[in-house]
Amino acid sequence: MIKIKDLQHHFKIGKKGNERHVPVLKSVTLEIGKGEIVAILGKSGSGKSTLLHILAGFMSPEKGSVVVNGQETAALKEAEQASFRLANFGFIFQNFQLMPGLNAFENVELPLKIKGMAETERKMKVQKLLEKVGLDQVAGHYPNELSGGQQQRVSIARALITDAPIILADEPTGSLDSETEKEILLLIQSLNKKLGLTFVIITHDEEVAAVADRQYRLHDGELVKGEQRHAV
Amino acid sequence: MQFKDQIDFIRQHMKRNKLRVATTILAATMGCAFLIVLASVGFGLHQTITDDVLDNNMVTQIEVAGKTDGDTELAPADIPDAELQQIKGMEHVIAVVERNQPEAEAEIMIGNRSTYSQVVLSSMEEEQKAGFALSEGKMPAKAGEVVVGYHMAERLLTEAEMEKEANGEEVEGFAGSLIGQTVELELTPFLNEGEERTESSTWEFVVTGIAKEPAKDWMTDVAIYADSSWAPIFNEELGLEKGFKNILVYADELQNVGGITDALKEDGFYVYSVTEELGTMNVFFTALKAGLIFVGTIAVLIASIGIFNTMTMAVTERTREIGVMKAIGAQPKLIRKLFLMESAAIGLIGTALAVVISYGISVLANWLVPIIILSSLGEEDAAGISIVISTIPWQLVVIASAISIGVAMVSGWRPARKATQIDIIQALRQEM
Ligand SMILES: Nc1ncnc2c1ncn2[C@@H]1O[C@H](COP(=O)(O)OP(=O)(O)OP(=O)(O)O)[C@@H](O)[C@H]1O
Ligand SMILES: [Mg+2]
Repeated sequence: MIKIKDLQHHFKIGKKGNERHVPVLKSVTLEIGKGEIVAILGKSGSGKSTLLHILAGFMSPEKGSVVVNGQETAALKEAEQASFRLANFGFIFQNFQLMPGLNAFENVELPLKIKGMAETERKMKVQKLLEKVGLDQVAGHYPNELSGGQQQRVSIARALITDAPIILADEPTGSLDSETEKEILLLIQSLNKKLGLTFVIITHDEEVAAVADRQYRLHDGELVKGEQRHAV
Repeated sequence: MQFKDQIDFIRQHMKRNKLRVATTILAATMGCAFLIVLASVGFGLHQTITDDVLDNNMVTQIEVAGKTDGDTELAPADIPDAELQQIKGMEHVIAVVERNQPEAEAEIMIGNRSTYSQVVLSSMEEEQKAGFALSEGKMPAKAGEVVVGYHMAERLLTEAEMEKEANGEEVEGFAGSLIGQTVELELTPFLNEGEERTESSTWEFVVTGIAKEPAKDWMTDVAIYADSSWAPIFNEELGLEKGFKNILVYADELQNVGGITDALKEDGFYVYSVTEELGTMNVFFTALKAGLIFVGTIAVLIASIGIFNTMTMAVTERTREIGVMKAIGAQPKLIRKLFLMESAAIGLIGTALAVVISYGISVLANWLVPIIILSSLGEEDAAGISIVISTIPWQLVVIASAISIGVAMVSGWRPARKATQIDIIQALRQEM
């Protein structure tokens, strides 16, 4: 489903002529199959988000290849990238990234609107999903009227609504207390089982990583399989 | 994204910044209304003057002032009869009137009353086709019969009355009807420089009809209308050349005047018609209107700075949201379209309001300005003057709308492009 091969990336810092190269990803190779939950651990600043951004097509890698569903994503133009994301990825962010002007229902509805789905079909679909993730009671609430856990549920629903096969999550529980974190992790697990969705979860939290089928640690620009998990 | 959803999206965004959007729309409205009202004055004056020209002219009349055959120039009197017959046969020509005037001063006398007059020698039959009509009596049937102008009777004054009138007093003129009366016509040839005074001659005519009142109340008709067969008789008696000849071609309708005028011009005739006069005026007023629209457009451009600001701020404010949209999978094209539509919407609402307001101002100006002008002229001069200050034809609405909405979209262009170029990663990093 996802094949990352010999990915390299570095950032340039400082003014032109006096710039410093900061290598973030030196050689990352990773294969993720359908229906897997993969967690990527790592210290702050180790390049976890950078890896996810490249995978999502938010930025282009300097070297290496990313193939998703048989498609080399770096070969796509910007507009094609957007369509590709809409069809293949759902996103869960640490700080939810909901639209403040839209209520829960409308936030979940947004990707379908972008897709151009007709209104009646769309509304039915959103209604069903909201019930499934336990949000039907607060469908009319705006983000500032929802708890953190509820907001993250809305954001998960938004990621699921397009039936995308891959969910990319960057610190999905980073802003939540441990109670709520457990709830969300359970939800992720059950979605993975019921719907066969593939999850890539970025985290620095061992407990979060525990829900994964496989764990990797990003260290010094390279991925190491998760045996070292108790080394910290 | 479906169009309906795009509209919803924009409406939602505009609602979130009601005050800012409202003030921007206000500026767009003012700019566009200024453009429309300013240009409407050009359109209004054009209409006033066109109406004036059409009012004060025999609009279906085309005057033939001569002809050129390349080298030779022909005066109206020298144009061969065959050619006039040809004109008469043209489509949409209802009559060709040839009016002869002896080169002589004319005076009409009855008893001790007299008045200066004009002698119009013409074919009564053709004049009638061209619209000549009587207010009373009938057309001449015999050689010694004539029709006189509507104001002839009241202008026939005794010497005492003439003196009274010169002192500004009211005078009666000839009492009763002139029909059946015999009037004397005295013709005195005009004097060329160095010539001695020539003899005048007198003829007697019986009045059978009075011409109808002239169309305009400022015209005075004291002419004497006789058959054109009198022309050679007068000329021979007075020892004159051919005299003046006026050739007037009449079209059936105003819309055909232009065509006939052009056809005659092509044949080498010198012609003059109302379309000629309107033609030169149209050039002038088209230039004036274009100038006013140009000046008005500057106001629209000033308003566009507001739109540019508002949209730039909107893009900056919504950077994070745009980033999320792009992350989820919205096309850059869609993002640009949504912002362009928003600035177009501001232009559109502003224009719609401006059109309504402009019509209001136009009506108000047409009511108020003439009152001010006429009151300063005094009552007597004011009578019969109708002034249109401002008209807003649909073409002006179309032009102004196109300019306003176009300018709004152009000023929204850069902010919209900036929105599409937002970096997703940077945008997602922004705090809420
Ligand atoms: N746009 C950029 N320009 C320059 N350097 C960058 C840029 N983005 C990230 N970096 C650097 O790359 C490194 C990796 O950053 P990244 O955000 O991927 O870390 P992370 O593992 O996600 O950390 P965290 O757990 O704190 O989120 C950091 O050292 C950071 O300073
Ligand atoms: Mg990170």
